Amino acid sequence: MSAVFSLTLRQLTGRWRLVIMSVLATMPVIFTALVVRSDSAPFVSAFETVVLSTMLAGSIAPLIVVSIASVAFGNEVDDRTLANLTLSPLPRWQIVGPKLAAAVAVAAPFVVGSAFLTSFFAFNRDATAIAAVTTSAFVGVLMYASLFVWLGLMTKQAIAVGLVYIVLWEGFFSGYVSGIRFLSIRHYAAALMHGLDPRRFVDDAHVGLGVAIAVAVVVFAVFVLLSIRKLRRMDVP
Amino acid sequence: MIRVDGVSRWFGNVVAVSDVTFDVAPGVTGLLGPNGAGKTTLLRMMTGLADVSDGAVTMFGEPVRDNPPLYGRIGVMSEHETVYGFMKGREFVRMMGRLRGVSDLDAAVERAIELVGLEHAAHLPMGTYSRGMRQRMRLAGVLVHDPEVLILDEPLNGADPRQRVQFQDLLRRLAEGGRTILLSSHILEEVEQVADTVLLIVNGKLAASGGFRAIRAALDQRPYHVRVVADAPRELAAEVVRLPSVDAVNVDPDGALILLSRNVRDLQIELPRLAQRASIGLRRVEPLDDSLESVFGYLVEH
Repeated sequence: MSAVFSLTLRQLTGRWRLVIMSVLATMPVIFTALVVRSDSAPFVSAFETVVLSTMLAGSIAPLIVVSIASVAFGNEVDDRTLANLTLSPLPRWQIVGPKLAAAVAVAAPFVVGSAFLTSFFAFNRDATAIAAVTTSAFVGVLMYASLFVWLGLMTKQAIAVGLVYIVLWEGFFSGYVSGIRFLSIRHYAAALMHGLDPRRFVDDAHVGLGVAIAVAVVVFAVFVLLSIRKLRRMDVP
Repeated sequence: MIRVDGVSRWFGNVVAVSDVTFDVAPGVTGLLGPNGAGKTTLLRMMTGLADVSDGAVTMFGEPVRDNPPLYGRIGVMSEHETVYGFMKGREFVRMMGRLRGVSDLDAAVERAIELVGLEHAAHLPMGTYSRGMRQRMRLAGVLVHDPEVLILDEPLNGADPRQRVQFQDLLRRLAEGGRTILLSSHILEEVEQVADTVLLIVNGKLAASGGFRAIRAALDQRPYHVRVVADAPRELAAEVVRLPSVDAVNVDPDGALILLSRNVRDLQIELPRLAQRASIGLRRVEPLDDSLESVFGYLVEH
């Protein structure tokens, strides 16, 4: 295991952070368990809009990821220990890569676990639907993590900026302004879910599975490259 | 070994380092200057942590900025004392060794910890260390890959007198092994103990450089202002002006004498004798400009 990965893993697994993540991840599961047992259970499209898209992909997942990924570098920029890493002979990608991997390793179990249990209760153990929801949740974690790791290098207020992004961009504008939807991570995570189980989920936006996968790869790669570029050029405190 | 060539750095309209040029050769070189003189900014540029606004820094003939392979040959201890509080001392040194690709890691870790004399505390979390212990364990982390060049920014902060002596001995031994060591400090005596050569930075500029003896000699010729409060200032002024150690005498508005002396050592002996002979009581004798800034300021002007 790389020294950077194990260091970051220890930095990101503080007890309180894990407790808060657990509470957040549990919310959609409890909500779903309660809703499906009620007499007026919603249709799939309503459930997808309210729980999967808005609650899980648009709020819980980015909140969990921003609170973990943005401090992968952010903590070390703040306490000025980043120089221990940048003054090593490692190529910069060997610093960014393990940092991102550690952020995903910490955030993904919460988000993917939450997505799995939520879809498990909602879709009556339908394996295809569960796989579609959990896979898209994992891909969403990858995209959000690459974005927020980069954000942690760009600003000392990464969590605050990330929250504004989640609330305004992913939560508000992308839900109501159709043009912005095509610049939203949530949108492509949902498109992936539609593509993986078209039988159950209806792709209203007509994005298509291929485009969703391509955009996910591009978003991930672009922010990884931006992080490497930033680490090479920044003045390390 | 290290070449700093016309290096400047500015932040907006503030010039932190201005057109500094020097070379650092093997041995211990002291980088001296008052707080805020630009030492840390200069060291950050010399280690590649910060970019230059103008000029170039090279080490072993290679640019230091964005040159990771070069970082395997240098050890840098920044002025910031933050450590990974959750990490035990030995774990920290081990991690530093792994990051730097040390081959015989176990032996290298134990050797580095032994060099700084912290074997007894290596199993404890660094969050429990005193300030001096943190600095020493950080130094062990810097030494674990046996670097050819050491750049140490105020490494003696928090060290007690015994630790200072041990640290200075360690630096001498490392220098004797052929390493190039650049040590920054704002305390003259701290650098004097170990450095063969001194670089003096004041207001972002290289004010002086050379052997420590030359710098010390320049300091000894510096005029000092000494304020004297006495029972009969005017009578004392008439007498004290005849002393060989006094260059000029003024009486300030509240009646105290301001003496200008280039030989404070003799003045310390002659003034009480004179006062006793003239039966004039001395109430207070104090240097007015003995701060480090004024010492450096004098060297810049001359």
